[in-house]
Amino acid sequence: MLFNSLEYLIFLPVVFIIYWLLKNSYKKQNILLLISSYIFYGWWDYRFLSLIIFSSFLDYFVGQKIEDAIGDKNKKHWLLVSLFSNLGLLGVFKYYNFFADSFASTMSNIGWEVNDLTLNIILPVGISFYTFQTLSYSIDIYRNQIKASRDIVGFFTFVSLFPQLVAGPIERASNLIPQIERKRNLNITLIKTGIFQIFIGLFRKVAIADNLGIYVDSVYSNYEIHNSSTLLVATIFYAFQIYFDFSGYSDIAIGSAKLFGFKFNRNFNFPYFSRTLTEFWRRWHMSLSFWLRDYLYISLGGNRKGIIITYRNLLLTMLIGGLWHGSSWNFVIWGGIHGLFLSLEKYTFSALNIKTFNAFGYIYTFVVVLVAWIFFRAPDFHSASTIITEIFSFDYGPLFIGNINAFVNAVLLLLIGFLIDLKIFRSDVSLEEYGTRFSSVKLSIIVSIIILMLCLFYSTAENFIYFQF
Amino acid sequence: MNSEIIKKLLKIVVLTLLISYGLDKLVFFGLNKISDKVMTGQAIGKLNHFLSLKDNTDFLVFGNSRANRHIDVELFSDNGFNMGIDGVGIAYNSTLINTLNEEKKQLILVHIDTKNFIDANYDGSDIRGLKTKYQRDDKITDALNESGELSQLQRVFYSMNYNGNAIGILKNYFKPSYDYKTHNGYDPLIVNSDQETMRDLVLSKDNQNDECVDNPKINPLALRYLKSIKTFTEKSPNKTFLFVTSPMYNDTCSTDNKKLGEIMQDLGLTYWDFTNLYKDNKDNSYWKDKTHMSKTGAEAFSIFLLDKYKSNKI
Repeated sequence: MLFNSLEYLIFLPVVFIIYWLLKNSYKKQNILLLISSYIFYGWWDYRFLSLIIFSSFLDYFVGQKIEDAIGDKNKKHWLLVSLFSNLGLLGVFKYYNFFADSFASTMSNIGWEVNDLTLNIILPVGISFYTFQTLSYSIDIYRNQIKASRDIVGFFTFVSLFPQLVAGPIERASNLIPQIERKRNLNITLIKTGIFQIFIGLFRKVAIADNLGIYVDSVYSNYEIHNSSTLLVATIFYAFQIYFDFSGYSDIAIGSAKLFGFKFNRNFNFPYFSRTLTEFWRRWHMSLSFWLRDYLYISLGGNRKGIIITYRNLLLTMLIGGLWHGSSWNFVIWGGIHGLFLSLEKYTFSALNIKTFNAFGYIYTFVVVLVAWIFFRAPDFHSASTIITEIFSFDYGPLFIGNINAFVNAVLLLLIGFLIDLKIFRSDVSLEEYGTRFSSVKLSIIVSIIILMLCLFYSTAENFIYFQF
Repeated sequence: MNSEIIKKLLKIVVLTLLISYGLDKLVFFGLNKISDKVMTGQAIGKLNHFLSLKDNTDFLVFGNSRANRHIDVELFSDNGFNMGIDGVGIAYNSTLINTLNEEKKQLILVHIDTKNFIDANYDGSDIRGLKTKYQRDDKITDALNESGELSQLQRVFYSMNYNGNAIGILKNYFKPSYDYKTHNGYDPLIVNSDQETMRDLVLSKDNQNDECVDNPKINPLALRYLKSIKTFTEKSPNKTFLFVTSPMYNDTCSTDNKKLGEIMQDLGLTYWDFTNLYKDNKDNSYWKDKTHMSKTGAEAFSIFLLDKYKSNKI
């Protein structure tokens, strides 16, 4: 089920009403949330529910085994069971074909033809997200940071809670499980901030991102025939499309969760207002970047083992982070570019003894992010390199407009989105809390204006971009 | 959740419903007023222009961008109008044809895109291009209701009828794109010298037609709309209908053309398929891209079509 669908418009209020009718028993509410989450996921393909259930069972029992095990060796043994099982599932469903194909190409390049080893596998929606969520649960127990859950319904709800099931935010067990295993309350602050964030998210996704996507798709599908100006504008549009698409999704997820009394961690914090790439990663897809920092970068040694190992760890973390997004070398290169520039930044800060760049840093960060996005959006390495070559050939001829209505709408909505972001960024309240600034009447007027804007400017895209990951 | 919170929540919900409903109607009726005066621009203005003159012309062209760019109506009549619109299919055209006055004597040229008929994914959603006339033109409203292409929300939020078009309407209201009184709807594509290299590159790209099959299936929805035009032709003895497919640069699949030709013959409709008319003509100046002719090509084709029409005396 998609957040921007009529089904969700009915699903959310129905579950909300039943949920608060059961307010006297949080356990009954959890059962309802679990059933609702499975319906939400099964709406896409019920067969893959078995994977979530398997993953939940596995980590529920392994988590207890890690906690109960005596001695570090035994604990590690059970942790490895969790790591291999979860990463094994991810490997089969997400990466098998990628590695099989890469192997066949490599063999072919050295003159040894290999039969087609790829399999007809569908990538289950959300597998990368819930796998990371369950992995962090097991690792946190191993590190003695949390206790293993003994409430099976509660744990299954933690893995599958519908607002964050298919595209995050990747919630830590330390934040979410305690909320699931106790009584939730609804107050007017949660209602106001939740409603505001849901509608802002819808506007970001359905109006801004999807309208930008029309131009991006038309240019990137025929990139060979476009000049530098057109490819540059399409890439800038894509940078904002993916931001508004994913942050919009996160807003709807976080806002929906608030209506059920849950507080999720924020996932975006105006990433394009960053003066360094390091800052960008503290503001972009925060639940993933913090996950990679805490469970990969630090596990590799972080910055505790000397300067060379620190750079290696940064690069490796970003390469794996890139691969997490999808089974394509383009994602690895995307991660590599970020890893390389993060390392260069670290070196520069250390050499010049500074903590950040001046205002010029905003442009530097955006340019690096922009170039990396080309690898993210382009279908393969050849097309990405062609686009980059064309942009940097400075053949700035007339701009391709395509459908003039769609183009003007995209520019106007982008401007509105940017101004909203700037306004909230410069205020002393975060987007997550912004709804508290409004009275009930003012909030209703703002939501009504957003509804009107959605009616006038909605554009229909099949999916959220991050569903493919 | 205590009763105080329920009250506040209900207040927000009820207020939002009331304000959004009122705001929607205000904007909808405001846009109606403005859009009725807009006569330029493809999405709204051209449709308004067409509806204002459709029963006073003696030659009309219907179809998609290829009809719009390929058929010079002035060669056929001083009182003609080309109603070709980018991206529309048979659902849109069939609905507009059914709005015509049955008694009026007219030559109606319907441009048929063969691919439209064998595309299994064609769902008739192009009819949504008429949504600004929903609840404002009986025949269009009936056709939209029958198509099921409008969202249920559209029956509550009327401004959805102007989705994607509001800015264009305002722009064309304050600054019309052209003088509509002298415009006959034909919009040829001029390829200037800067665009020739890109055009040649586009034409040189390989045709990848993986979907060509020996016995293509006709899309039942497209066929239904075609039959609706056929029914209209039977009710309009004073009108002459001509169905035409204009040339393409290098169509590598002929089975779909053959299949559509058979269906047209079965329905008793006059159909001329010129898909491959210029296939062996390697003069790139005739083309803008693989499916659209340039002004040079369109004018040559229009003259050819007129000669054929005159010599065939339909």
